[in-house]
Amino acid sequence: MSNLKVNVAGVEFKNPIITASGTFGFGREYDRFYNIDVLGGLCTKGLTLKPRQGNPYPRIAESPSGMLNSVGLQNPGVDHYLATDDILLSKRDVIVIANVAGSCIEDYIAIAEKMNDSKADMIELNISCPNVKEGGMAFGVLPKNVEAVTAAVKKACKNKPVITKLSPNVSCIADNARAAEQGGADGISLINTLAGMAVNYKTKKPILFNNTGGVSGACVKPIALKMVWDCFNAVKIPIIGLGGITSYTDVLEFMICGARAVEIGTHNFTQPLGAKDIVEDLTKYVEENDIDVNDLVGSLILNA
Amino acid sequence: MSGMKDRTGEILVNEKIAKDVYKMVVVFDDLPEDIKGAQFAHVKLNDASHLLRRPFCVCDFDKQDRTITMCYAVVGKGTELLSHYKKGDKINVLLPLGNGFTPDKSYKKIVLLGGGMGSAVLPAIATADPQLEYYTYLGFANADKVVLEEELKKVSKQITVATDDGSYGKKGFVTDILAKDMDAIKPDAVFCCGPEVMYKALRRALEGFNVPIIVSLEARMGCGIGACLVCNCKVKRNGKEEYARVCIEGPVFKLDEVVL
Repeated sequence: MSNLKVNVAGVEFKNPIITASGTFGFGREYDRFYNIDVLGGLCTKGLTLKPRQGNPYPRIAESPSGMLNSVGLQNPGVDHYLATDDILLSKRDVIVIANVAGSCIEDYIAIAEKMNDSKADMIELNISCPNVKEGGMAFGVLPKNVEAVTAAVKKACKNKPVITKLSPNVSCIADNARAAEQGGADGISLINTLAGMAVNYKTKKPILFNNTGGVSGACVKPIALKMVWDCFNAVKIPIIGLGGITSYTDVLEFMICGARAVEIGTHNFTQPLGAKDIVEDLTKYVEENDIDVNDLVGSLILNA
Repeated sequence: MSGMKDRTGEILVNEKIAKDVYKMVVVFDDLPEDIKGAQFAHVKLNDASHLLRRPFCVCDFDKQDRTITMCYAVVGKGTELLSHYKKGDKINVLLPLGNGFTPDKSYKKIVLLGGGMGSAVLPAIATADPQLEYYTYLGFANADKVVLEEELKKVSKQITVATDDGSYGKKGFVTDILAKDMDAIKPDAVFCCGPEVMYKALRRALEGFNVPIIVSLEARMGCGIGACLVCNCKVKRNGKEEYARVCIEGPVFKLDEVVL
């Protein structure tokens, strides 16, 4: 029997397609293009304890089959979210994953405590934002920090599964996956953006005001696939895979490499209907081929 | 923005109109009823390696013919590729985006002020509100860069073209030339699109005239619909500086509120 439903850390998704944090706002903009209830899930823009203005302009640059961003976690703050979009999103037929970020362990604990009052279904712990000087990423590099921040958030947030979002800018992502599992994460998501630069040869200056940014888009897909496979072999907790997905066949590839669900990010910018189209194409494929997507997870057949 | 959607259009014209500047006319199955001046189109290139759409102002539109005109300068690889697109080619365009310019009901006379490629924003304003009287001022670096003079002449009561080096039209900065004519025209508003340096000059030149100045900003963009937060510009609201999104809160702003 064909099936699109997946279960990630006890939460049931009607399909494995989730929109990635920072590419979909709080869903309002895309809801004008299509009913976002067709999605399996939605990750909110990264939320911090206090509102953040983010980095100065320019914040975006293109690279071959990809782009760089350095938004720097501009967001209205968690209290504003709880009073507005949290309520609006809870009325929708879509799993809501609140992405939270901090710049010190106390921030993460405080925001996790606030999330106890959120109607969101899950928390995605952003410890891998490359665009904020004072933090985020600092927790995402060393395995002992990944474990510590995950454990602290798990302790503070009692009523929701916690997904730790891993950075690819590390020496061994499988070690960090294990550290997140050790810290009590209910799942992991990967990959966040890869640290990169775009340079103007005429001015000899970086294009991004922040000098560096995070690379995303189709160009990162092979890296993400390998990292998902590495993590699948390192941990038992479910994996949400992301990085350069632009089609339902990309989704199948991520699931074969071990992802239970996937996130669509940069593709939303190119094609505002992109995530919806992927849901439809995947549904068609699964029905025509009588597949249960859960059977795909980790089904990669390595060459000898 | 009720008519906003991703539309597939067919290129009718893609021709060079000045050094490194092209005019593209695209026809669609339908054109939104609510399209207005100073909105923009987010153009997808037919090449997946350039994944970001390119935002271009809607230079002009014709609801009857269901066409829009875009004028663009070749400044990078994306616009270089676009310049090779042929008549009959299909392109995907998110349209219409941005707040656009809605003239106050009390306005009768408006100055349209264009700097370089910023002039491309102006024709659609006159098309959207043909009942108004337009006094047009265009400034370019030199004669090679002059565009859209003929198109704007047709819709303007008066038109003045200036070049920085005097190689065409009047010599000097068009903002200074406008300032000298302000008392004679007595416009209800000045609408300007040009580089940031022009907005600074305009602010100085029109100090004391007590006329609303409306500007259209441009920015590197991602989604174009307000979700990705990359096209930030600094504005002052309620005495506080904050970021606004050019794509959805703009591209049209009051010059007063823009932090330059």
